[in-house]
Order: sequence, then structure tokens, then C-alpha cells
Amino acid sequence: MLNLNRIIALSLLAFSSAYGYLSYTYNLLPFERFLAVKPNTMPIGLSIAGIICSIAILIQPTDSNEIIEGDGTVNRADGEYLKNPHNFNWGQGVGLLILAFIYSISLRELGFILCTSTFLFLGGFILGNRRYILLITISISASVIFWYLVEKVLSIYLRPWPIWIF
Amino acid sequence: MLDGMLLGLETAFTFQNMFFAALGCFIGTIIGMLPGLGPMSVVAIMIPVSLQIGDPSTTLILLAGVYYGAIFGGSTSSILINAPGEAAVVATSFDGYPMARNGQAGKALTIAAISSFSGGTIGVVLLMFFAPALASFAILFWSAEYFALMLVGLSAISAFAGKGKVLKAIMMTILGLMLATVGESSLFQAPRFTLGIMDLQSGISFVTLAMGLFAVPEAFFLAIDKIRGEKSGSKQSQEINNLRINRKEAKAIVPVIGRQSIQGFLIGVMPGTGATIASFLGYAVERNLASPEERKEFGKGSIKGLSAPETANNAASTGSFVPLLTLGIPGSGTTAVLLGAFIALNLQPGPQLMVDRPEVFWSVILSMYFGNIILLVLNLPLVPYIAKLLTIPRSYLIPFVLFFAMAGAYIGQNNATELLLLLGFGVLAIIFRFADYPLPPLLIGFVLGQMFEDNLGRAMRNANGIQFIWERPMTLMLIFSAAIFILVPLIRDWLILKK
Repeated sequence: MLNLNRIIALSLLAFSSAYGYLSYTYNLLPFERFLAVKPNTMPIGLSIAGIICSIAILIQPTDSNEIIEGDGTVNRADGEYLKNPHNFNWGQGVGLLILAFIYSISLRELGFILCTSTFLFLGGFILGNRRYILLITISISASVIFWYLVEKVLSIYLRPWPIWIF
Repeated sequence: MLDGMLLGLETAFTFQNMFFAALGCFIGTIIGMLPGLGPMSVVAIMIPVSLQIGDPSTTLILLAGVYYGAIFGGSTSSILINAPGEAAVVATSFDGYPMARNGQAGKALTIAAISSFSGGTIGVVLLMFFAPALASFAILFWSAEYFALMLVGLSAISAFAGKGKVLKAIMMTILGLMLATVGESSLFQAPRFTLGIMDLQSGISFVTLAMGLFAVPEAFFLAIDKIRGEKSGSKQSQEINNLRINRKEAKAIVPVIGRQSIQGFLIGVMPGTGATIASFLGYAVERNLASPEERKEFGKGSIKGLSAPETANNAASTGSFVPLLTLGIPGSGTTAVLLGAFIALNLQPGPQLMVDRPEVFWSVILSMYFGNIILLVLNLPLVPYIAKLLTIPRSYLIPFVLFFAMAGAYIGQNNATELLLLLGFGVLAIIFRFADYPLPPLLIGFVLGQMFEDNLGRAMRNANGIQFIWERPMTLMLIFSAAIFILVPLIRDWLILKK
């Protein structure tokens, strides 16, 4: 039966095969052809091992998800979330990941302080925090303190403001 | 030797040097807590500042303190928010984080502090008495032996795989090894598997991968599940500040500390291995030595599983000073940075250092005792306050966990591609976790992958083939051990699943 376990194994099989193809067709420099260890020696070995291993997972007798269980409601095995999906706040988790993606692509343009303050504020908002004043205060002060520590104390450059200001 | 030690004692225990040792520990602990700033980066950042002091002994004492502090600081973020910012503290999170989620953050931090202190202190004793002899042993290890040692390190993955998961753990290790081949390698001229992406030329960053695999999924699961890992409110608030280790627990960790101090130190002595492999092997060895009942607790909050890597990585960090001080060979990235500090101070570490500048040689070693005590004294009273971080409401805590993970990947690189990679790894890790694929082996494969290929390549070049495997007895013995470590759990697993 095709379950998540086997879908992942199939994906790993495809990945190992693609990696193997890239390794096999890797353009060796002229002198590298005579080396005892070529740049693609280990990658070819790894792709073969990956293909064998993913096939073995596919044909493994029992689905290990049935063996590994959590101990009730407080220490769940991660697989349990998919068994009763309606009990959980998927929107909050996915919302946070989308917010992190937006943070990643806008950090350079918006600068560290503005972008991080917005991220921390919206992150709290997504998770249900409606104490706006406190949330804004914490978000801004944490961003400024972190930026000051990294840029001024440790001398590691972090652009503080949007790209169009400086 | 005794004269040198007395001279070192006199130098190390002046008020000025004790103050700088304490300052170094404090700065290292604070900065080390930030993901992305491991001991190597922290020591490198502190070198220009410390050189202003002028006195070589004081400068090196400060830097050694920073080094120790940074290792301990890294353990704190690993335990509290599952964000190991450095390879050597990855194994600490395997049991430290579950303990923290079970409301035992105070106890976890206390065990980490005591284990670090013990590992570091026993390591210093060994360093004092056996440094010259061990240095000559370490140089007997050639690429072939290092390759075999890496193989033993990789075979430790069976320790991270529960019933029915050994095959998945092996697959994850292979995936980690594959990721390690991306980008430049010291062995070859051109970068590999970059798919034309310029930002992948220097390979995938450890911090990006570690944060993606551990911190991002944890933030996600905490967001979707309001009661994840929590006990009833009152019980949690009572236990979170509880630092006490009862007699039974103390009895359980004492032998672990003894074994891992020695094993970690010996691994640290060998150039190129260091604290990371010591912590992984320490965890694996203790899991294999544990009784079947205790073994079930590993990965769920075992005190032995926390104490082993913490002791081993500190003992190994001390051990890595052996080749640096006695041979002038840096045994790890951090000691390579420290070598730079020695050179900037016009000191040449090596066999002559003990003869020409005994006060520097011995004061650095003796200050490590003091540094370890300071770390314990400094950190134990702070544990209840640090542990309280976990009582922060989730709507504040979770965005901060995610932010620290992203900041760790971004700092120093100023490269948004790192953040996208981090999120990509994070989403993959969430999917893997749904299907119970263990993630630590992926990181172990990645961390050891580069060293594995480099040493295999050098050994094959030296021998012009693979005959080094049977020509060198130590290599053969290590490879044989690695094969047993892999095959026994694999066969056992297959038989269990077949029933």
C-alpha cells in the first residue's frame, strides 16, 4: 500500500538516481581521470548505496509507523498528527512557515530591524496574541538589541534599514 | 616539569588572570547561546579584542575561557529550544530537549553543567600528565586510520534509530553524506553538484542544515500542537526550576562521566576529529552499554544520553589542546584559530613551547581548571533563570525560536539564499518526521562526510588503491568494528519487523 513512508522512500529512490546520474556524467578535468579517487568516486558509491537502501525501505516487511507510538496526548510521535489532523492548528504552523518565507525574501530589501520587528509581531499575531502594545514593544526592542549586539558589539555587518534609505 | 607547573600556577592564579578567565567564560557563554556562533566564530571574534591586553598568558587564558564558555552556551540553546548552533552540541539536544519539554529544563541544564565541568576537569588532568606521550601516539594515525575512525563515527547512527528504523537511519546518513559533497572540497579543484547556483559554491552551511532539521520543525510542531510535550501547568512550573539530581540519578551519571571523559579526551587528541565525533560516539557507546530499560529512554529524555555527549565534547575540547600545545598542530577548527592567536603573540606552539615559555604553557593549562570551576559557579545559579525561558507564552517563544534559527543562518553570510535553504530543509524535515525518519543521522553524515571523503581520498592516493584496508591492522580493526555496529542492529531490526 502506498503510504507516506513509501512515498518518501520512492522520492529518495528518485533523488538517489538523479544524484547518481549527475555523478556519472560529471565532467572530470583531464588530469582527474588518472587519480585514484576522482571527484565522482564517492558520489557514485553513495548513489548506489542510496538506491539499494531506498528499495530496501520500500520492500521492508512492516511499516515502522505502526511500531513507533507516542505515550498519549502530551508526548506524541510525529506520525500521530496525520492520524487525527482535525485536532491541530495547521493554519498556525503553515502560516508561520509562510511568514518565515516572506521574511527570507524581504530581509535584504527591508533591512534587519524593520523586517525582524514585523516578523516577530506577525508571528505572535498568527499564534493568537492580541496584546498589540506589548507585542510591538517586544518585537521592536528585541530586533534593536539583537542588531546592536551583532553589529556594534561583535562587528558583524547587518544592514539595519531598508536598502532605499542607505 | 614541576618547576614549570609551579611557575604556571603562579601566573595563572594572579588576580588579573583569574578575572580574565572568568570574563572569557562569561562572554563565551552569552555569545555561544546565539545559534550560528559556535566556539570557533566566538574565539575568532574575540582575538582582536584580547590581543589588546598585551600579556601572552592573559590573552590565551581569556581565549581559552571564551572557548569553554561558548561550548557551554551552545548546549543551552540546544537543550532549551532544540537549536544546536554547533556540531559538537547536536547530540546534546537528542535527550536534553526532550527533558526540557518534559518540564525538566532545570535538571537538564544542571546535568549539562556538571558533565561539562567534569569532562573538562578530568580532561585537564589527563592533559597535564599525558600530553607529550599522547601527542606522539596521535601522529601514528594516518589518513587510513582517520577514514576508518570516521566510518566508526558513521556507524554510531544505529544508536539514534529505534526499533524498525535502522534502515531509515542508514538512508538518512547516506543523504547527509550526499549533501556534504555539494560545493568545494579540499581534495578537488572544481565545486560539485552546485546546479549552477553560485551560493552553493562553498557548500551547504552546517548551521543552515542543523537549524533547518531541528529548530524549524520544532517551531512548526509547537505551533500546531498547543500542549506538545507539556505536563499539567502546576507540575511543570514546580519542576522547571528544580535543579536537584537525586542519588539514583547521580549514581547513573558518574560512570558515564568517567568513561566519556577518557574516551572524549582520547578522541580529541587526534587531530581532525574533535568534539563532534567525540559527542556522537559518546552517545552511541553509552546507549549500547545501557540496560534494555534504560535504552528505551534514549531520545526521550535520558539523563545518561544527555550527560554522555556533554562530558565527551568538553573532554575532547581539552584533548584538542594536546596536538596544539605539544606539536603545534591544530586538532580542530577552534584550535586552528587559537594557533593564529599564538602566532600573533609571537609564540610558536610545539615541543619547544614547554621549554622556552613554561609560564605560558602551564598557565594556559592550569587556567583551564579555574575556567571549568568558573563555568560551574557562573552557570548553576543562572540555571533557574535560563530555564524560565521555557515558561514564556508560546505566542512569543515560537516566533523567537524561528527567528534565532534564521538569524543563525544569516549572520555573517548576509545571504538570503541561506534562509531559503533553511526553510527548504525545514519543510523536508517536517515531512521526514511525519513518517518517522530519524534526522540526527542525516546531520552526522553531513558533518563527517567531508572528513570521510578527504581521508578516504588521501588514503587511496597514498596506497594507490584500497589495499590500505588490509595492510594497516588498526584500519582493518576499526572497519571491522564499524561493520559490526551497522550489521548487528540492521539484522536484528529486520528480524523484528518480519515477525
